[in-house]
Order: sequence, then structure tokens, then C-alpha cells
Amino acid sequence: MSSPTQALFANRWLPVLLVTPLALLIVIFFYVPIFQAFYWSFFLERPFGGGSIFVGWANFARVLADPQFWEAGKRTVIFMVIGSSLAVLVPLILAVAADRQLRLSQPARNVLVWPKGVAGASIGVIFAFIFNPFVGILSPLNQWFPGIWAPGIDGTDAFIMLIAAHVWSGIPFNFVILLAGLQSLPRTMHQAAAMDGAGAWRRIFDVQLPLIMPQVFLTLVLEFTESVTSAFALVDTMTKGGPGGSTNLLVYKIYVDGFNGYDLSGAATQTAILMVFVVLLTGAQFAFLGRRINYER
Amino acid sequence: MNAIDTRIDTAIRAAASAIVLDKVSKSYDGTTQVIPPLDAELRAGEFTVVLGPSGCGKSTLMQMIAGLERVSGGTISFGARQVQDLEPKARGCAMVFQNYALYPHMSVFENIAYSLKVAGMPKPLRVERVEAVAKMLGLSDLLARKPGQLSGGQRQRVAIGRAIVREPGVLLFDEPLSNLDAQLRHDMRMELAELHRRIGATTVFVTHDQVEAMTLADRILILNKGRIEQFDTPKAIYHHPASVFVAKFIGAPPMNIVPVTGDGKVLRLADGQVLAECPVFGDYQLGIRPEDILVGEGPIKASLRYREDLGSHAILAADLGGNLLRIATPFGADIGVEANLSLTFPPLRLHLFDAETGRAIPGAFSAQ
Repeated sequence: MSSPTQALFANRWLPVLLVTPLALLIVIFFYVPIFQAFYWSFFLERPFGGGSIFVGWANFARVLADPQFWEAGKRTVIFMVIGSSLAVLVPLILAVAADRQLRLSQPARNVLVWPKGVAGASIGVIFAFIFNPFVGILSPLNQWFPGIWAPGIDGTDAFIMLIAAHVWSGIPFNFVILLAGLQSLPRTMHQAAAMDGAGAWRRIFDVQLPLIMPQVFLTLVLEFTESVTSAFALVDTMTKGGPGGSTNLLVYKIYVDGFNGYDLSGAATQTAILMVFVVLLTGAQFAFLGRRINYER
Repeated sequence: MNAIDTRIDTAIRAAASAIVLDKVSKSYDGTTQVIPPLDAELRAGEFTVVLGPSGCGKSTLMQMIAGLERVSGGTISFGARQVQDLEPKARGCAMVFQNYALYPHMSVFENIAYSLKVAGMPKPLRVERVEAVAKMLGLSDLLARKPGQLSGGQRQRVAIGRAIVREPGVLLFDEPLSNLDAQLRHDMRMELAELHRRIGATTVFVTHDQVEAMTLADRILILNKGRIEQFDTPKAIYHHPASVFVAKFIGAPPMNIVPVTGDGKVLRLADGQVLAECPVFGDYQLGIRPEDILVGEGPIKASLRYREDLGSHAILAADLGGNLLRIATPFGADIGVEANLSLTFPPLRLHLFDAETGRAIPGAFSAQ
């Protein structure tokens, strides 16, 4: 990795001034709410406002004793691992394909970025329609094998649908990052491997993939952290956590508990737990994966 | 050479094959030809330097030999084998790239061993071969390092090791020395010459540096806009350049070229000054190398404009009837600027070129 370069400013207050707008945004919309969530997790809040009581760790004890919390947590982890892995793997395959000098690879690169402009909730609505058991693309399946595709009844089907929508929405960003990584490899690197006798497939695994590990790592870290929260829009529009709670991920449970059930303290506590989990997870990724992929170009 | 070195040499020495290019051409868009049909025969075991300015098609030519670019027409043969339709790996040639193109995530050992690994060679054999090559190139202590921890010269050696470890019959170099500093370039030139003597592969070396070409080549192929200007030994190219292009490309400083007119007896400049005797009529270009001009007593008058003292000799820039004339002379030390020079052009060192085509007219001065 290259050594960090230090910027020079004539006025020592100029850099502070330049960074203030962004810092303000981050503080107001990120750190303050997080602090609030942690703060509330130690209080029992009245559902309709008006005073709160300090209860110490009581909220945590209550949440951690709730089997539904653990259920939702397990689903979140499953969604995170499968959804994130696929959301990196599929764009990776597409990027490797688009990186080759094939006909139409240029328009393909454009088309694959477009979904970035679609909001999460819209994706949910569209995919709910696409996977509709009566009119969607899988509906012929039900004609041949009645009942095999029923995301409204079958929890597994609903989960698959959710992951499919999530992976699709993750394609553009990860595709751009991974393709940029592939395109930054010098052409002579491919040529050298070709001269060494490696065919196209072999070059992918021996040269291309190892060399874009920094980009793969970046997309994985971002996906893991994002999948925990960004699934909300999809769950809300596609399944509402159903059927039978089978797609009730933690982030959706927090929303339902807080804004439908008015258990504000419980929601705040679960938010705090989720936050700590994500931070630990990212730290672990950097500790175990990050160190192995550093090399000098 | 000691016993171990000899054993390494016999292990690494390759079966060199001749390269025959038959009407090889390249066009990217089907209309403009980067390389018009080109014929050349590179003898087995010969060190051929392809020399030319940027954009002359020399890299394209090399890539076609390597199999990294398809030929648009013609055939390429290695020995008796036609290879123009084969994949690079099937051709049995190896290449050293300008930017080395080492795999940054692999150690030096893995870099050199990669082609053997791809070919499915068992590990003990691989280790043996890589160690032999590493010893030959002085890389034995660096095998565990990554390319990022090496100096430019070391990376260069790894790139060469990676190329020769497979014992290729054909070894290709694409401007391999251009990223090194002057001292290192000089050292690597000697090492490459030595290496070629030891492994004996048919070698094609692409460069735009005429010093590399002159020092390394058995024969130099000079390319201009995709066409062969001249393909001969360095000595022949220096003493008998086939065209103005070659004459100006070889030698530092390059050959002086001045336009002259022949009246059947002598060659004159536009201002009437007589430069040489030659029984030709019409317009020509007269060439003489800076180091062949004699300064002191002589019939040709020029005025000195500028001088560079290089210690061993001096380079004078003079005005000869409106033409720039460079003179390399050991006798330049006591000549002041703006002085008038008296020069002699030895007839046997003169070169006559056609004014239109720039081709050399052989024998123009030999009859005198």
C-alpha cells in the first residue's frame, strides 16, 4: 500500500473549515441518534412521552431473555451471510465477464449500473411482483408442481425472494467497485500470465482474483454492514416480516416493536445491541481478512 | 566457468528455433496497415534487435510473434512449425515485459515457478529448476521476497528468470531496460549479452535505443512505419546505412545529412560550395558521420556555432551553407566559438542518398 500523503494548507483553520459541513452532517444524523439510542436503552420510556425512569441494565436483560429477539438475530445473521456473499459473488462474476474484451461488454457495463438508481422500497415492490406466485416468472412452476413456489405461505420461499431482491439491489455498486479493480490491473499482467501458459480461466483465479482482493474485501465489509440495515425497505414492502415471522429480521423487528408496539426502550436497546454487533463484526473482518490482502503493486 | 555453472547451462540451454516471418501484416481496422506485409528470417540462436522510433510497429511485431496479437495476414514459423494461429502457451516462447509485469501477490520463487506450475511440473523438479535459474541470475537470496520489496534491477532479473525457466526456444524482450537508470542499464546490457551466450535461445529484443541495439545485436532489424529499412549486422548498418532514416537513427550524434546537387563532376551545396567529387547529375542527399569529419586543414569551410566538451572528445555544431553540421573531434579543444573551420570530408566515408526516396546509392564514392 502506498504511504499516506499529507496535504498542506496555508491557513491552519482552512482544513477545519472545509471539513465542518460534513462533520456536522455526520454528527447530527449519525452520532446524535446513536447516542440517543444508547441513552434510551438504559431508561424505561413512556410510549406517549412524558417522563422516563432510569432502569440500568433491565432493558438488556428483558431483550436478551426474549426468544423472539434471538430468532430475529439468527435470521439476520443468515440473511447477512448468504445475502452478502451472493451480493459480492454475483457482481464479481459479472465484473470478470464485463472486463473481458468481448463484443457488447461496453453497453453491458452501463446496463449493470442502472439499478443503482432504484430505491430499496421500489425494488421490494418490483420483486414482490416478479416473484408473485400467480403472475410472476416462477408462476409456471406452480402449474407443473402446484404449491412449490409460495412465498406468501412458505417461509423459506419468502426468504429466498428477499435475498434475491437484496442481491439484485447490491449488483450496481459492487459491480462498479470490482470492475474498477479489474480494470486497474495492467494489460501486461494478463499477457505475462498468458505467456506463462495460463488460460483465461486459470488467469482469473491465479492473477485477477488475488489482485482485486482489496476491492472484494471492501465490498464484503460494506455488504455485511449494510445488509443488516438496508434489508428494512425490502422486508417492509415485500413480506412485512411474514409469513409467520420467517422474514422478520432484527432491523424490521426493531421498527415494529418501536413504532407499532410502542416499546421504545426495547427498540432502543435492540438498536444498541445491533450497533455493537456490526462494529465488532467489521473489526473482526479487518483483523482476520484485512491483514492478509496487503501487497505492494 | 566452474562445474556447477556448466551443469546449469546444460540444464537451461534451450533448443533454439529459427523464426521466419512470411508476408506478416497487421491492421486493426482493416484499412490502415500498421505493418504492411513483411518478410524476415531470424536465424536460430541469433540475437536480433528490432529497432525503431515509437509507433513504428516494433511492439506490434513482437506481440504477433508472441501470440498476444493476431496476424492479419501471412505466416510465422518457429523452425518447421507454423505458429501464427497458436495460443501463446503453445508457441514455446517467453517474454520479458517493459514494466516487468511480475505478479505482485506472489513471491520471487512463485513468480519464476508459475509457468512450470501451470505446465503441471512436479514440485521437486520445479524447485530444482527455479533454484538453478535463481543462482544463475543472482536471485538465490531473494526467492522468498515479494516483487514490491525488490529494486528495479532485481525485478528485471526476476522477469528474465521467469522467461528463461521454461527453456523457451524463442525469447522475447519488449524494451526491458527502459525503466532502469543509466548505470544499471549498462550492467544489464552486459548481463543480457552473457545470458544469451549461455542459453542460446533465438532472441528478439525490441528497443528504441540504438546503443542497446549496437551492443547487443547479432543483427539489427530497423523498422520504420512498419517496413524494414534495413536488416543487417550492427557493423554493416553503421558503415553502410541503407537509407537516410537508418543513417540518422544509428550513431550518436547521428549522421549529418546535407542536400547537394551534382553536375556530373562534383557535388555542390545550394550556395555553390563544393563538398565532394562524384560523377552524378541532379539532387541528392550527402551523408557523413560526425566522427569521420577531419578538422584543421581542408577545402570545406564552415563556421562554428556551438561546442560541447565531453572530456574524451568534443562535439562541434557548425554551420555549413545553412545546414547544421555536427563534428566529433578530439582536436576541438583550442577552437573558439564563431571561428571559421576548415574541414575535410574523406571520400570513402561519404554516403550518397537519393533525394526523393532516401535510399542509399551504393558505390557512389568507391570508384575514386
